[in-house]
Amino acid sequence: MHAARKTIAYVFALGFAPLAGATVHDQVFKGRFDIPADQPASVNAAARFLTQATFGPTQADIAYLMAQGYGEWIDEQLSRPATIGEPTVEAIVNAGEKVTNAIRLNRFFWQAVYAPDQLRQRMAYALSQIFVVSDQASDIGNNYMVPLSQYQDMLAESAFLPYAQVLFNVTWHPIMGRYLNAFRNVKATIVGGVQTTSPDENYAREVMQLFSIGLIERNQDFSPVLQGGQPVPTYDQNVITQMAKVFTGFTWSDAPTNPPGFYGGGLTFAGEYDPMACWGTELFPASSNQMRHDITVKTVLRGATIVANQTCAQDVTDELAIIATHPNVAPFISRQLIQRFVESNPSPAYIQRIAAVFDAPGNDLGDVIKAILTDPEAVNPPPPCDSANCDGYGKLREPVLRLTELWRAFNAQAPAPDPYGQIAMIGNGGFLGNFGQAPLESPTVFNFYLPDYQQPGTFADNGLYSPELQITNESTTYTTADTYYGFTAKAYQGMPTPPTDRPLIDMSSLVANAANPAAMVATVNADLFYGGMSASMQSTLTNMLTNLSGATAQEKAWSAIYVAMLSPEFAVQR
Amino acid sequence: MSHSRNSRREFLRNFGCVACGGTAAALLPQLRMLGTALASTSVSSTYQALVCVYLYGGNDAWNMLVPFDDTRYNTYAASRSGVYDATNNPGGLGLAQPTGAQVALQKIVDGNDPSSATNQYFLHPAMPEMTSLFNQGHLAFVVNAGSLVKPITMADYNASSANYPAQLFSHADQTNQWQQAWAEQGVTLGWGGQCGDVLKSGNPNTQLSPCISIAGANRYEIGVATIPYQISSGGLTNLSGMCNTPPCSASTNARDAALQTLLGETYANDFAGGYAQIFQRSRDLFNLLDTNLAGTTLNTAFPSGNSLAAQLQTVAKMIKLSMAQNYATRQIYFVTLGSFDLHAGMMSGANDHAVLLTTLSQALNDFWTCMGPTDVNAQNKVTVFTMSEFARTLQSNGSGSDHGWGTVQMVLGGAVKGGKLYSNGGGPITGFPNQALNAPNNFPRGQMIPGIGVEQYAATLAQWMGITSPSDLATIFPNLANFGMGNLGFV
Repeated sequence: MHAARKTIAYVFALGFAPLAGATVHDQVFKGRFDIPADQPASVNAAARFLTQATFGPTQADIAYLMAQGYGEWIDEQLSRPATIGEPTVEAIVNAGEKVTNAIRLNRFFWQAVYAPDQLRQRMAYALSQIFVVSDQASDIGNNYMVPLSQYQDMLAESAFLPYAQVLFNVTWHPIMGRYLNAFRNVKATIVGGVQTTSPDENYAREVMQLFSIGLIERNQDFSPVLQGGQPVPTYDQNVITQMAKVFTGFTWSDAPTNPPGFYGGGLTFAGEYDPMACWGTELFPASSNQMRHDITVKTVLRGATIVANQTCAQDVTDELAIIATHPNVAPFISRQLIQRFVESNPSPAYIQRIAAVFDAPGNDLGDVIKAILTDPEAVNPPPPCDSANCDGYGKLREPVLRLTELWRAFNAQAPAPDPYGQIAMIGNGGFLGNFGQAPLESPTVFNFYLPDYQQPGTFADNGLYSPELQITNESTTYTTADTYYGFTAKAYQGMPTPPTDRPLIDMSSLVANAANPAAMVATVNADLFYGGMSASMQSTLTNMLTNLSGATAQEKAWSAIYVAMLSPEFAVQR
Repeated sequence: MSHSRNSRREFLRNFGCVACGGTAAALLPQLRMLGTALASTSVSSTYQALVCVYLYGGNDAWNMLVPFDDTRYNTYAASRSGVYDATNNPGGLGLAQPTGAQVALQKIVDGNDPSSATNQYFLHPAMPEMTSLFNQGHLAFVVNAGSLVKPITMADYNASSANYPAQLFSHADQTNQWQQAWAEQGVTLGWGGQCGDVLKSGNPNTQLSPCISIAGANRYEIGVATIPYQISSGGLTNLSGMCNTPPCSASTNARDAALQTLLGETYANDFAGGYAQIFQRSRDLFNLLDTNLAGTTLNTAFPSGNSLAAQLQTVAKMIKLSMAQNYATRQIYFVTLGSFDLHAGMMSGANDHAVLLTTLSQALNDFWTCMGPTDVNAQNKVTVFTMSEFARTLQSNGSGSDHGWGTVQMVLGGAVKGGKLYSNGGGPITGFPNQALNAPNNFPRGQMIPGIGVEQYAATLAQWMGITSPSDLATIFPNLANFGMGNLGFV
């Protein structure tokens, strides 16, 4: 039941031809008796790696990784087709369920927990925090929930393509169009020889500031290029105004052209998620008032010129090529991917190693993520030190990932599909408010947290970054804990009246040892902490379980899990 | 691996403050915190609070405050690509000049300008409550304020990039520059938090931060030694499965004790330590505030479905509680309203500019009422002000407006010298700007070079809070000395 529902390469209406799909060499059923050269050093090392690379280690995945070794495991994941959500989401809507983003989120979390293409799903989730779109924008909201779910699919299908193609797919997607206003953006209006409107600048700005190169020139290790001691801006307002002209003329793919209806279309779900049409000279002559694309010459990034009178598709292709070949892209994107998978403060050398892979001819984001996960800095954490704040390695685990890690560690069983075919995962929901994050629900295009956020105190004083701490505060610590409570103490298999709106965790491995607190703690340590729980924390939890002598075996079990999930040690991926 | 941590610490230690004002401070602006002991400003023990309403996304303020006289109105309307008309001019961004009964609901007269040729304005039709508060003298507008390094003209702008702030027109950067009141990159401190650093010594309760956010993390409230206390607009909630109100069952106590132990440990890892510190603070402040906040009630009814009103309601409760319990003599609050980045759908749609300004106007009005003598009774003690990263292009993009620069902010309170526009910062650009697209100090799409620096606006508010020592002001607002006027006089 977990097999991919549909395995297509994402094909574009325009521009780049899709690359040949990665060779599928499915080794799932290949018998193995030899020990791979790059086998993880221990089961705990395997679990730690899977914490970085997936939505959480499972016993089955740990065993499989031990048998395959890192390289082969990654290669197999890179070749797995994308598990996608839109067909399921659409079917639920067509069956008559009320259209809200809960349907999309239920499907997202189902895939996060059960999809076999874990690395691809995790990469898509990371990309969704760079190429941000959100149902919090009124232009998307609940109304465009179905195409929004397809945007996530597009990211999954694009996850291991060359960066330039990902940028291309993102740019042409109508949900991005609606989010950053390239959709129905039109060329300047001239009335009586006077220009009364100019193209919308939103996408032109954010595609550079957030999706590609950032605001200042960077060296390959992400350090700023300095001239006279000052950073060098990558572009100025003139470039934005010029580039805004490139992103004009877009509308729904099914907007009628005969008779023309630029503001029509979007009549089917496919019409709402297929790559946008652009009403440039490819569709109408330059003299037609239906031709909405600005065909004048554009002087863009780094002084490059996009010549006049091209088709819209050619302008966009030229522009994206200019952006994608900017030397900033590799360090800018590599650093953020490292932050999502491994650590908040990668060394300059680590960024530079990944940037080199990023830029190597023929490489794609599959090569990049493999390099990130197998880099020595990812695989070998620095040895422990024993004074306060002597260790800045790792990252805060995202609240969303702490939840999926719980479900995967404790074999959560999802409820049966409801009459609409929907499998409930999120319970009462409210993750955005409670966690400060939820998939494709960012409050702004700047994601839930900034890559450069510095928590006041230790981080800021030492010039260190702590993105996920931006959503950690006196309010969200409580609401996050309450959410976890609802998915542990209130959602386990075998409870008297279990909820039907969320998965139930399997606590049998703990319940079986209810009389042996140390054994219970050892299980939690292995399953959630890849064996890294400190001796003092083990002692604290053991004491707690001893003091819970009057409680049922189930209460002891969920107490161990719940308190562990709130602990500072579990909050960190190190 | 804490890369080069030790060498960095060593560097900072050896550096001292000798070069704080020099090149190194520009590279590592955090340096300015070192050794710059803030003067022991002594402030009065009467309670006072600042409430910052941050309008995220860049409020199109040139549609909030519009010239009323025909001459300037016609210039405005032309620059805004005409008056919006769903049928005949859907790309226009101009507001209609009010007529008939609307005049009383929208029109204001600037008490700082005696000339009837230039002192008439109207507010957006969504803000009749603000018209009323302005006419009662409680509300002021600060006009054409924005991030600056020093006062400039277009000629200065064109002469050198050193004359203006980095990363103009970028949301994130301009937001930071407003919240820092300093057009500097790579800074981590906000001006509210630094005011908190100075003012908190007078607060009787040392557990509760002088800076309180109802809207999550923000730079504005971060000081050298001040971190905002963050609560949600829903107030406090219990921590499930733990002992919130003793006595509790043995099992609950066992879990609670374990969590307490874990949060109290010393952690080698920065992330574990940072998380533990926040969680521990959450529990301490829950214990301080929970019962008292639940027992704090307001007489004013705030509207439902207004996210800003919900935040301000919590602010009002906290102010009332803080005064009643004598937690503090100075507090700095932060609330937000978002979605102002109206590149599209500015004049029509479910969340257009009118909807946002309605939300803003009604929320501020309810908060003002709540501060009134029959409720919290703190109208003269609380000053509310807006910040927003920039105004927007006057010229339409066919459906909305793009990023601009100089903007208009509102200040509301019993201490405010309201009924007036404040548009003179002592620099070369003064007055309500000429809104012609190619006027001397405008960019081609109607982005205004500001005449007032953010630090002038912020320093005026800081001085009202009691920060008057020149050294404190210079520390918090490093570029303030570049501007002629350190106090705009609106409060």
